[in-house]
Amino acid sequence: MSFLANIDRRVFYWILFIALMVPFLNPIGFPIKIAENTRDLYEGITGDSVEPGDVWIINFGYGVSAWPECHPGVTVCAKALLREGAHIILIGPHTDVELTYNHLLDTASADFDAATYGEDWVFLGYITGGESAIAQLASNMRSVYPTDHFGTPLDNIPLMQNVNTWHDVSGVLSSDTGDWGGYFLTMWQEAYGVPMAQIGIAMLGSTGIPRWLAGNYFGMSVGSRGGAELEMLIGEPGDAIIAMDSISVSHLLIVIAVIIANVGMLMERGRKS
Amino acid sequence: MSQMLKREVVYAITGIVTVLMFVEYFLFPESQAWAEMLRTWGIIIYNISLGLGAVRLTMAHSVSIQRRRENWQYSGVLLATLVVMLVTGLAGYFTTGLQTSNTIYNWLFNYVYTPLGATLYPITGFYIFSAAYRAFRARNVDAALMLIAGCFVILSNAPVGEAIWVGFATIGEWFRFTGQVPGMRTFALVGTLGMIAYGFRALLGKERGFYAGGGEE
Repeated sequence: MSFLANIDRRVFYWILFIALMVPFLNPIGFPIKIAENTRDLYEGITGDSVEPGDVWIINFGYGVSAWPECHPGVTVCAKALLREGAHIILIGPHTDVELTYNHLLDTASADFDAATYGEDWVFLGYITGGESAIAQLASNMRSVYPTDHFGTPLDNIPLMQNVNTWHDVSGVLSSDTGDWGGYFLTMWQEAYGVPMAQIGIAMLGSTGIPRWLAGNYFGMSVGSRGGAELEMLIGEPGDAIIAMDSISVSHLLIVIAVIIANVGMLMERGRKS
Repeated sequence: MSQMLKREVVYAITGIVTVLMFVEYFLFPESQAWAEMLRTWGIIIYNISLGLGAVRLTMAHSVSIQRRRENWQYSGVLLATLVVMLVTGLAGYFTTGLQTSNTIYNWLFNYVYTPLGATLYPITGFYIFSAAYRAFRARNVDAALMLIAGCFVILSNAPVGEAIWVGFATIGEWFRFTGQVPGMRTFALVGTLGMIAYGFRALLGKERGFYAGGGEE
């Protein structure tokens, strides 16, 4: 049995590769329980929390590589805000932000098709400058974005005519793989009390959950699981719910691998002693 | 003179900007015009640093190709990619005002960059799987405790955990909320205090690394 402690890593790669195919070929559909932090996020962007005409910022703080984790949550939030009659300003600090923007237009196509660019949403595009840029965005958006992504001056965009500072923004949703949510937290939420929530990768749960519990974030979606929970809440199953089966399989395999490794190690230790 | 530029002038600029930003953030309820101007400068300098980074990258990889260093071929691929993206992006920008209007630029972004980016991150799942097998071993009590906590958190994060036993979710959530949060808050507070201490040391010229790269005075 001690061989269990020394299995070649390639065996694991193959097991995972084959096992991940199963849920795609034959979806399992485990029930998904909705976490309180996700529910708070959803309730913060729907119902009485949002008035028609409210302006919200969605920050694409993730690149293409994090689409599976962040994008389903952002899609649900964009859908929910548009359905409430809110207006959305889209920005992003990744060089591939336009791809993410186009992907959102695709994943929430029905809602964006029913809305009008420049009136219901606007894409300001790529932002650089780190925390300084986010601070500046709170005080003077036109100094950071004189035009939208397509070169139209902000004054010529109906949505932006009365929007230039944090006063004009009802809330911020930052979807992150890194620090940008923290910049909004410091420069918008803590400085001016602008409501904010995060749609982060799973790894950001450990830093984001304390902020949600402290009231800095009104809600938080954690990883693909958070995205799946949001899809459940809006009642439209999407990519994240499909991915949940794969996550179940991979997570379970990790636990089984750990058990096998430890059984092997104990056997080997017993044999040596 | 150059020494003075390297040290005293940098100390002075850092000190003045820090004080002004502190005053604006803590004493004024609204943003001030002078602070906005300083931040705009900061953003401009940040953007210049991006360009500088590209120039430095080009120089470093050109030298690597010139001297046929190990894996110099990859430097060639990098420079070729840099040139193609720059030229196609600029071509799109100068013709329509949008770099993404260029077909080649778009094709490379959509059909090379996107699949590569989408593959790179999920592929770590295979390494995590193999690494968990090799590293997660209960060699002592501490390791065993961490391993048990890790398994509960993993199973609480995946819907299958709760399907096997509802206790996985309950215990996993306890670890994530009650167990992890105080530790993370402590870590955040200590980290912030450390940043304040670092800031003061930098302002007082005690952190040479901040100004001239490396070491403590």
